Amino acid sequence: MKTSVEWLKEYTNVDVTTKDLADILTMTGTKVETIEEKGKEIQNVVVGKILTIEKHPDADKLVVTKVDIGEDIVQIVTGAKNIKVGDIIPVAKDGSSLPKGVKIKKGKLRGVDSCGMMCSIGELELSKEEYPEQIEDGIMILPKEYESKLGQDIVDVLDLREDILDFEITPNRPDCLSIEGLGRETAVSLKNEFKNPRKNLDKIDVENKKEIEGLRVDIKAPDLCYRYIARVVKNVKIGPSPKWMVRRLKACGIRSINNIVDITNYVMLELGEPMHAFDIESIEGKHIIVRRANKDEKITTLDGVERQLNDDILVISDEKKAVAIAGVMGGENSEIEKDTKTIVFEAAVFNRGSIRKASKQVGIRTESSSRFEKGLSTENALRAINRAVELVEELKIGEAIPEKIDVYPKKEQTISITLNPDRINNLIGTNLTKEEMIKILEDLEMKVENDKVIPPYFRQDIEQEADIAEEVLRIYGYDKLNSTQVESSATIGLRTKIQKIEKDVRCMLINCGMQEIYTYGIISKKDLEKIGATNLFDSSIKIINPLSEDYTIMRQTTIPSMMETLASNDSKKNQDVKLFDISRTYVNENEEIENGNVPKEDKVITLGMYGKDVDFYTLKGIVENILQVSNIVRFELKQEVENPSYHEGRCASVYIGIDKIATFGQIHPIIAQNYKMSKEIYVAEINLSKLEKYSKPAKKYTPIPKFPAVERDIAIVVDEDVTVGKIEDVITKQAKKLLEKVKLFDIYRDEKLGKNKKSVAYSLQFRDPNKTLTDEEINPLMEKIVQSLEKELNAKLRV
Amino acid sequence: MMKEQIDKIKKTAKEEIENVQTIKDLNDLKVKYLGKKGELTLILRQMGNLSSEERPIIGSLVNEVRDTIENRIKEKEEELEQEKIKEKMAKEKIDITIPSKKTVLGSCHPITQIINEVEDIFLGMGYEIADGPEVETCFYNFDQLNAPEDHPSRDLQDTFYITDKVILRTQTSPVQARVMENKKPPIKIICPGTVYRSDTIDATHSPVFHQVEGLVVDKNISMSDLKGTLEMFAKKCLGENTKIRFRPHHFPFTEPSAEVDVSCFVCGGKGCRVCKDEGWIELLGCGMVHPNVLKNCNIDPKEYSGFAFGFGVERIAMAKFGIDDLRLLYENDVRFLKQF
Repeated sequence: MKTSVEWLKEYTNVDVTTKDLADILTMTGTKVETIEEKGKEIQNVVVGKILTIEKHPDADKLVVTKVDIGEDIVQIVTGAKNIKVGDIIPVAKDGSSLPKGVKIKKGKLRGVDSCGMMCSIGELELSKEEYPEQIEDGIMILPKEYESKLGQDIVDVLDLREDILDFEITPNRPDCLSIEGLGRETAVSLKNEFKNPRKNLDKIDVENKKEIEGLRVDIKAPDLCYRYIARVVKNVKIGPSPKWMVRRLKACGIRSINNIVDITNYVMLELGEPMHAFDIESIEGKHIIVRRANKDEKITTLDGVERQLNDDILVISDEKKAVAIAGVMGGENSEIEKDTKTIVFEAAVFNRGSIRKASKQVGIRTESSSRFEKGLSTENALRAINRAVELVEELKIGEAIPEKIDVYPKKEQTISITLNPDRINNLIGTNLTKEEMIKILEDLEMKVENDKVIPPYFRQDIEQEADIAEEVLRIYGYDKLNSTQVESSATIGLRTKIQKIEKDVRCMLINCGMQEIYTYGIISKKDLEKIGATNLFDSSIKIINPLSEDYTIMRQTTIPSMMETLASNDSKKNQDVKLFDISRTYVNENEEIENGNVPKEDKVITLGMYGKDVDFYTLKGIVENILQVSNIVRFELKQEVENPSYHEGRCASVYIGIDKIATFGQIHPIIAQNYKMSKEIYVAEINLSKLEKYSKPAKKYTPIPKFPAVERDIAIVVDEDVTVGKIEDVITKQAKKLLEKVKLFDIYRDEKLGKNKKSVAYSLQFRDPNKTLTDEEINPLMEKIVQSLEKELNAKLRV
Repeated sequence: MMKEQIDKIKKTAKEEIENVQTIKDLNDLKVKYLGKKGELTLILRQMGNLSSEERPIIGSLVNEVRDTIENRIKEKEEELEQEKIKEKMAKEKIDITIPSKKTVLGSCHPITQIINEVEDIFLGMGYEIADGPEVETCFYNFDQLNAPEDHPSRDLQDTFYITDKVILRTQTSPVQARVMENKKPPIKIICPGTVYRSDTIDATHSPVFHQVEGLVVDKNISMSDLKGTLEMFAKKCLGENTKIRFRPHHFPFTEPSAEVDVSCFVCGGKGCRVCKDEGWIELLGCGMVHPNVLKNCNIDPKEYSGFAFGFGVERIAMAKFGIDDLRLLYENDVRFLKQF
């Protein structure tokens, strides 16, 4: 909401600078976003008089003038066509400045000295609406009487200085979307008297009629329209509005249209009640019907766009057609035209939710709808229509019939709230007396009677004690609030189990040289295609109103996010990249979404890496570290061959029982290519929520061995497809308790070993906690191990 | 006669030990004087020729000299040993400016760093960390927070809808409602988390960003407590000289509500690029929990009161680390990330 300080001054004495006013209002809750100082940019522009005009010696389209600027006579070259000798004009002198940072300096135009510039209205940032007698593509011609002001500053002469404040009005304060409301806030904030020039508007009343000049009004949807007042003005003279009105509208950012439309806008700005004016002739049967639109109904609004309506949308209609979208925008078909003779003023109040919905559905947000959707008072409607008629009479542009049609199905209820100063002081932490509170409330035009507060009609946001507390506090001063510490019952600030695991894992990953990344949980179908998981699309949670096609679904896997990040780093030639992401996946497992519930969200640790020293086993090591940090001791590793995102020979999953808690491996080369990467990419997905589930509590101590260990090496030749895991299983099974450690130290391949054969070498460590082991005990054990390896895996002992 | 002999031995031994250069030579001297055939031993062997009066005198003299020589040798031995080590170290001198062989460390994302810092401050003040779903219901994101369907405050946020009942949470506040429903006061929580708003990506906007929400509900909680708490937080998080300023504002779930500015932690309030020359940076929104919200969550507003606050993590991260483009936080270029 924009307004000029000048207009505010009509309501109270403003005895501080504009900057201070802005600061004070901000601190009482009417936040000033920007201050615009109009006229400040115009410097050294004065009134001048053209003395002579001669042809330019070298240019047909230019003339050379002599201009009297008071203390001096200067020569100015111009291309303007609309000037003549004797004209009084604004002159930007040498070294002057104009709006938008334009600087004027003397110079030569086609070889002739020019010492300044004559200005058009555009160059002074004035509008045709304010100065209808001026032309836009020529020099501004000032009235003859300004001849006495030669050399005077144009800013003073035309009174261009104006400070404009732009307020951020919070949605609970639609009353401040009016000069009256802002004036009231200004007065209370400055602790000055509020002198409301429109105080008695509600006292004016005219007779209520069912019909005026054949006009009737019916509300068919009383749930959406709480009040509808109409007044008829005859013999209307449509024309331009007076300069003061145009100027005030402009200061608030509204363009002048014609006197009637301007009055409706002026009243809206002044009192905060949006109004509308119809040409009575365009209302078929002179019957205004407020109803829900039909399903297939259409209307062309004032901006010339055809709008599709539906039965959620309230319209103002006549007996045949809709003439306006209620509270949003009028229809082209009932617009005020130059030759309009009789008009109908409308001041109505609509259900805020309905306006909000309508404005969203038809896709237009107007000054009107943005007020209605916040909820307006039905009491104010009468004041507004009275004010409109008052202005018509003041401007002498029509004859208002002294009758009104007032359909008022829903009278407003006044409420009263108990004033309990102790509770308020306790809530905000102040020590104000009851009298101090009452003073503040009364300044805000609330009635206080017998410890009951009755808010005025324009403060529908005041509903309970907390609202009163806020009013008291904001006028008393938020800056005067004390600072105290919470005296609460003891609480313990402690991380939960999963929060601890997350923190430990993060710390460990950093120590492993991994860099943490943050990715969006919103991905697209294309992302699923790129990782070969299109099958996930149907079950994905979809956004109805996505920002763009890149962000349409919630991810069920974090691989696309990690791949995208790796690829973007690779494209920037970043080498040896190791990343991790702790984020979520979103799975609509049991139709939660359809039932209006929230889906399953899992926390997932995603690792991603490429570069030298990175292979499957690097990744495996980090995955194992994560399990160790999470205190997970027992788990099983299984080769995973059917995951379409991974290399089928280099992918594994970690299981606890039948529960899969992690998958990791090399990304399928084709998938890597989809991201334009030809190197080996390694990715792991570890379900953090499951780590929490299986994380063991405190660790148990085992005594440090007192007796020495015995080590034996063993090397066997097996078929290529016998995994190290299987060999270790056989060894462990046979060796039983005494075997403390099995350490793989070599895998060796050579033609001499035979086709598809490999040699695998282990160092086995045996220990008895109660005594020193002897050869007699170990040797038979080793023999048993070798026999089993031979029998079960067809292994040959290497000698 | 014998005494002179002993004195002589003592003297020459001292000289010889003094001049010795290597451990080996020193060992030879040890044998020469103290060995089984050493000079002192020889003297002892001649003791039989002495009178019974002289014998103990000479005996103790020999022992004394023997001790002296032994000590000298030991001292010399240590001396030589030290010299040897010194010499070795001199040869082993290295260039300490040659690059280290450390394991390269990674780092937490700047957003995590800020969240960790905030968490630690509030954990220390006895707050727990709460968590909630990101795909949230309108019920928790709006209705329970006193913003019914036709409430104008819903306009403030451009919401991503999944269905007409399910959305991506636009704030971390629904966690408040969930906690209050399930826990009796005293409640002291913070909830850091990801939130979503339909904003196009640019230097200061992202459709996905992070917030930290705080909530305290107990008996006799006041707005002054809120101010004191936030003041404490601001000082710990942004520096001991930080000042805060409360301005009235409106949020549907708090009443009274406030917006809080902090004195610019880059320039200290003098005015700079970060605070746009205002000396203050808008940091967070807060207020006393609206009685309707307490009621919605089955907490009696007559008995209990509470405060809530919330702020954007990216905003603090950007100001604190001097990051001028929000997109850098989500581009995840390791050259950027490694700086933190």
